[in-house]
Amino acid sequence: MSITLAVTAGILFAAGTYLVLQRLLTRIVVGLGLMAHGANLILLGAGGEPGAPPIVGTADPATFGDPLPQALVLTAIVITFGVTAFLLALAYRSWALTAEDTVEDDIEDRRIAELRRREHP
Amino acid sequence: MTSWPFLVVAAHFVGAAVLLAMPRRSRRAAVVVALAPMAAAVVMAALAAGAVIDGDPVTADISWLPALGVSLDVRFDALALIFTFAIAAIGMAIITYAAGYFAPEADLRRFLALLVGFAGAMMGIAITDNLFGLFVFWELTTVTSYLLVGFQDEKGSARAAALHAILTTSLGGLAMLGGFVLLFQAAGTATLSEIVASPPSGTTTTVALVLIFLGAFTKSAQAPFHFWLPGAMAAPTPASAYLHSATMVKAGVLLLLRLAPGFAATGVWTPVVLTVGLATMMIGAWRALRQTDLKLILAYGTVSQLGFMTALVGLGSPVMLHAALAVLVAHALFKSTLFLVVGAIDHQAGTRDIRVLSGLGRRLPWLALIAVLAAASMAGVAPLLGFATKEAAVAALLDEHAWIALAVISVASALTATYALRFVFGAFGTKPPSGEVDHVGPEVAAPGPTLWGPPALLGAAGLVFGIVPGAVDAVVSAAAPGGKLVLWPGWNLALGVSIAIIAAGVAIYAAPAALAHLQHRVAARLAALHVPSAEGSYRWLIDMLNRVADRVTGITQNGSLPVYIGVILITTLTVPAAAWIGAGGALPQLPPLGSAAEIALGVFVAVVAIAVLRAKRRLAAVILLGGVGYSIAGVFVLFGAPDLALTLLLVETVTVAVFAFVLGRLPRRFEEQPWRLGRAMRAGVALVVGGFVTAAALVTNGIRTAPPVADVYVELAPDAGGRNVVNVILTDFRALDTLGEITVIAAAAVGIGALVMRTRTQRRTDDVPDTAREAA
Amino acid sequence: MRFRPSLLLDVGARSMVPTLVLVSLYVLVVGHDEPGGGFIGGLLAGVALLVVFLAGGAAQVSRVLPIDPLTMVGAGMSVAVATSVAGMVLGAGLLDAGKLELDLAWIGKISVGSTLVFDAGVYLVVVGLVAMVLTRLGAREETAP
Repeated sequence: MSITLAVTAGILFAAGTYLVLQRLLTRIVVGLGLMAHGANLILLGAGGEPGAPPIVGTADPATFGDPLPQALVLTAIVITFGVTAFLLALAYRSWALTAEDTVEDDIEDRRIAELRRREHP
Repeated sequence: MTSWPFLVVAAHFVGAAVLLAMPRRSRRAAVVVALAPMAAAVVMAALAAGAVIDGDPVTADISWLPALGVSLDVRFDALALIFTFAIAAIGMAIITYAAGYFAPEADLRRFLALLVGFAGAMMGIAITDNLFGLFVFWELTTVTSYLLVGFQDEKGSARAAALHAILTTSLGGLAMLGGFVLLFQAAGTATLSEIVASPPSGTTTTVALVLIFLGAFTKSAQAPFHFWLPGAMAAPTPASAYLHSATMVKAGVLLLLRLAPGFAATGVWTPVVLTVGLATMMIGAWRALRQTDLKLILAYGTVSQLGFMTALVGLGSPVMLHAALAVLVAHALFKSTLFLVVGAIDHQAGTRDIRVLSGLGRRLPWLALIAVLAAASMAGVAPLLGFATKEAAVAALLDEHAWIALAVISVASALTATYALRFVFGAFGTKPPSGEVDHVGPEVAAPGPTLWGPPALLGAAGLVFGIVPGAVDAVVSAAAPGGKLVLWPGWNLALGVSIAIIAAGVAIYAAPAALAHLQHRVAARLAALHVPSAEGSYRWLIDMLNRVADRVTGITQNGSLPVYIGVILITTLTVPAAAWIGAGGALPQLPPLGSAAEIALGVFVAVVAIAVLRAKRRLAAVILLGGVGYSIAGVFVLFGAPDLALTLLLVETVTVAVFAFVLGRLPRRFEEQPWRLGRAMRAGVALVVGGFVTAAALVTNGIRTAPPVADVYVELAPDAGGRNVVNVILTDFRALDTLGEITVIAAAAVGIGALVMRTRTQRRTDDVPDTAREAA
Repeated sequence: MRFRPSLLLDVGARSMVPTLVLVSLYVLVVGHDEPGGGFIGGLLAGVALLVVFLAGGAAQVSRVLPIDPLTMVGAGMSVAVATSVAGMVLGAGLLDAGKLELDLAWIGKISVGSTLVFDAGVYLVVVGLVAMVLTRLGAREETAP
């Protein structure tokens, strides 16, 4: 893990957090995308220094990059895609129903909290 | 190695799947498909019987997750033989019966699928020699029995009963799993036969046993958990007949029987198991006397008989275990017969109420005869199997001077004889005319052969085995050597006790007024003492659970997203930080800065990421996000990860397209919405998070000591048939992870389908935002 | 983003799509030895579907797909789970791999490992997801005013 990688990941996380702390669902999705990129960089960096592609027979195994984080990141990328598509479908639906692309407070949670306040003032 | 018992169990699940895939109307084919795996089980059991009875069980190791000690070790011993045979033979009778019982419009196919799956799970319990394999089958019976009890899901009472059953038995199952884990720790193996052969001892084992008892007691409807079983009669009668006879409730007794040879000498065994068993036997018999629904009389009778078996297992000596197993076999036969008789009555007369039924005995003498045979077996009358088994139990109790147990069992057995009489006369007797109810009876039509044939066969089996108890004794003794079943024990003390029990039972039946008075007084006394009933406690518990859940939700979830995210972020920051400080807070040496190419890409990523923040247009933000992705693909190339680079490039391409679809429907620009957190606050949180991530990445990487696991993978990859180590990891070494990941993707696909398919029917509401957008 | 058919795209798609699908299958098969595999192959086939979408819209995507996207996801999951369980039934542990050597005379030897079958399941799930996105989220484009 180089300093550059760590700092880049930090910046991606900071930008992602900033976007997630808003009400617009599309911005939240973009923010999550940035965070996912940051997380992937950290996973990759956990494998140590850059190396050769871990394909047996193409280079000396001692020079390989760590393949395990690579496998983890690969699936993480595809899962992020699936989740992004799902969140966008949610945004789509929210827009179709309410003409709003914002995340409101959870009404059900609010109602339960209200109930409790009434019972135990 | 191929294991026939395992394949037979698997065949049941395949049969269930095939049944579910069949068209609803092909009832005859459904019956054939349902019978097939059970017939296979009977044949398999018959072929294996010779060797098994000689003490040579069929074993096989089917590894599943060997690293965790989880496997499906098969051990087809005499106990498994008895259960497999009973499950399959009674199952076949019940399937045949169900074909005539269900109305043409009922979903017979679904019922049979559940029943066959349930039978397979139950057989799995019987043949598995591994604690965790057993647990899996155990829970499968819980789930399938839930579906069977709630089969008539349009009825609220059936759903409530099913919920009660699954809550009780699965909570017990959970405790049992805890017990299994502790036992596994204490014994060092998860193989049941090995654990019983050299049982561990000590506090851990005691705790483990108590937890396992909870599982067995809830499953076998022991007090104070007995209440779910009478409720479970909401199931269709064929299902009740099965649940009450060969399956479900017998699982708990089976588990106790399996463990008893190793643990009966443990200090906790006899006091707990015997007490619970005796209490259950009394409560069940006592309450059976109060019921007016034929099915409820039988249900409480089952509770009582299960208590009887449990009490015998609680005493734990070989001769007691032999008697318990014999009682279990006899009970399976007579109780399935009786339930099927009740089903036939219900089917023909439309009621099971003994106050309404009258004169049925004259109308249906053959059905009455079947019922009398089975009820006599239940009461312990010679020459039926019930007599031989009860006689064996009484003789064993006398031999071992277990006076208290003998006293309680005798009283409860007398009550059993009473409720057997109550059942027979209630169902088939002729009552004096009363002004309150209109009797149903003489006009009832005779049931068809599918409704009387199966109970007749099962009832006859009780008679045949009663006359020739040696046939049952051979297998029972192979499973639990120590006792003997005989047709005629000769004039001895045990026979005297048996005769006294039946005489007392008849006497109690002859004095209904005195009995009613006593029942009333006991009920009044219990009410005065505020003894909570099992049912009341259950209701209170569920109510309490709901209220606590509401309160916890009210405190922890106020509905505001920023608060939730804040909690998550704070946890992410504090937990690792605390761990780091707790470990001494050592600062690692700073790693190298990185190559020039890395730095260039890093700076580019940072600039684009900040540009995303400032983007006012949605599409611009998305395209910039894609830019971040492409640059990161560059970093992947630098790190020797061509697979990742390819994946990311493709994903970013498709993602931009997906965003474009959605954004096409949304306003182009972001509207600025007021948010509780101000801009400065947000920036502050974001910077803290970002800084923490950087610091954590540097610290954790600097203090790493273990070598990478992947070195092994690199060495093993060629053996696994691949040179691309990343792909070999994904599809082979860590394929379970990949399986989990594609499950997430599949779930996302299903979710998208569900969300967007709906909008097609909502086109009218869709039109609103468009006009609103144009106006804005 | 209203859908407008374009001749150029249509012609381009006709030549590109079969190539892309072939490449995706190639990538899937060689994935065990070269960069590639089920995820990448599936995404490549997804890009092929994206090209079809751009040329002919969601309806065209549905037309070129042999089966419904959800069925494809289900089939992929079934294949992956079946290969995992097969190892157990055949006597090895869950998810243990096996392989079948095939000697196809003049084509040469290929080995069909259970890992390839598993990867094919992954491929199907990924293609199914992309197809789902295109046919469902994309379909609304055409109904937009």
